[in-house]
Amino acid sequence: MDLLLSTDRIVRYLRAMNAENMKEWKIELTYRVDFVRGMLEPLIFVFPYVLFAMALVGGRTSSVLEGLTGVSDGVTYTIIGYIFMGFLNTAVWGMGFALRKEQWYGTLESIFVAPVPRWVYVLGMALHSTVHQGIILFFQIAVVYVLFGVILHVQGVLPVLVFIGLMLFSLVGLGLMVSGLALIFKEGWIVSEVLYSLITIVTPIAYPLAVLPPLLQKISLTMPTTYAITGIRHFLIDETMGVGLWDSYSRLILIGVCWIVSGLLMFQVVDKKVRREGTLAEY
Amino acid sequence: MGNDLFLIKEEIKKNIKILLCYPVEIMFWAIFPVLWVIPFIFQGQALVGGVTSAQFKELAGTEQFVPFILTGAIISTYLFSSLYGMGGNIRMESYWGTLEYILGSPARKISILMGKALSESISSTFFVTTQVIICVFGFGLTLTMGKILPILLVMLLLVVGLYGMAIALAGVTLQIKESRSLVHTIEYLFYLFSPIRYPVGINPVIATVSLVIPLTYALLAIRGIWLLNQPMSSLWKYVGLLALLDVIFVTVGYLIFHHMEKKVRRSGSVAQY
Repeated sequence: MDLLLSTDRIVRYLRAMNAENMKEWKIELTYRVDFVRGMLEPLIFVFPYVLFAMALVGGRTSSVLEGLTGVSDGVTYTIIGYIFMGFLNTAVWGMGFALRKEQWYGTLESIFVAPVPRWVYVLGMALHSTVHQGIILFFQIAVVYVLFGVILHVQGVLPVLVFIGLMLFSLVGLGLMVSGLALIFKEGWIVSEVLYSLITIVTPIAYPLAVLPPLLQKISLTMPTTYAITGIRHFLIDETMGVGLWDSYSRLILIGVCWIVSGLLMFQVVDKKVRREGTLAEY
Repeated sequence: MGNDLFLIKEEIKKNIKILLCYPVEIMFWAIFPVLWVIPFIFQGQALVGGVTSAQFKELAGTEQFVPFILTGAIISTYLFSSLYGMGGNIRMESYWGTLEYILGSPARKISILMGKALSESISSTFFVTTQVIICVFGFGLTLTMGKILPILLVMLLLVVGLYGMAIALAGVTLQIKESRSLVHTIEYLFYLFSPIRYPVGINPVIATVSLVIPLTYALLAIRGIWLLNQPMSSLWKYVGLLALLDVIFVTVGYLIFHHMEKKVRRSGSVAQY
């Protein structure tokens, strides 16, 4: 009976998550110009890094980069890093900002008194953001293929998907933490922006781990994005991996579990705090 | 005239008071534009194995790419300020419920806009000063006293042009209400088409579009003075073109604002959210 009940509960939670996902799609597709802009913006965001690389090396290839990573094409190296790093947006902006947006719409209190745990709602936003980011990713790959002739190893897709899945697992934990912080700080964009900026500095997106100072290298090794981006580039463009494949997978799982547990704990503590203090409705 | 000056002073006081209520936001804008440059520095080191590049010198005039992008980051603070601060200020008045009072008051709107622009200039100059200090002590950027005055002159001209654009944006905000997406798009286009992060000569299309952006001439002149030790006499053409763009941007900006304001007052949509 207990098992049946919990299965029923899981189904209800999944339905709630999907409802949240569908709601967000409906809102986004109502503002079509904004939707198109959202598709193009990550692409425009990458251009300065690519053009900066080309200005430095006077073309696409760098012998220094080849010595460090095994990849000589600086343009492809940079593009792949930034395209897949887009999933960080899903955590810090998509999920982290979900509750703040409900506050703007004036529906946050209604959601918080609904008979589902609040984390279900945040996971619904995670589902939406991940699907949205996935669509953007395919669009970006198509555009950079046409514009820059970026060619990827198709046979590496399966392990890449594993890396993306494990990275997303950790990022959900980060998203839960940011959601919680947004409930306290209200103007949560600063929390999102600060975390995003710091994680992008320590993650080897457009450069290998070796160029970072020793302290930043140590911090970098605690980030899921480090293993995921390096692993993805290893399978798609043959970047040398500093850490073995199974070691990378197991570290990603370990970081994921830690981040998810921390995210859930932090979210629950903040949730209780704002309800007890009655500051939930404060704007 | 006295009333206008009073209005400008009060608008500046109000905006500075609001800003001081958010100390975390002040810290953020004073520090983070410099931190956003760090990935470019690491990327450069990974590509050329140091902090100089002969290929970069052919395009930028200097082989030192770190000072190049640091100056770009510092000066682009005025871009953020004009787009988000000034452009979004009208939207904030609508959030606070004070927009109708401002537009309905018998005050001259140009004075209100000038007050907003000047308060943004003051806060941006504070952010820029902090960033320069970080760059000098953290990244070893040097700045001699003799260069400060000519740099300030160019910055002043840049601010006028950018706020001309921001006034137009404020007018558009009156009409379309939610202008955040438009602001984001303009920000990305400025990043793409002006030499903030890289020399625009890398691509002919980018180089052509950059000619109509005031930030291009300001960065060329400021880097000429700051990094390349060029005399002012060789930079007058950039300063002249910047001044010309200022006149165009301010005139067109005010005309757009005036037109939009009349339009929303006639249509009765000022109070619409």
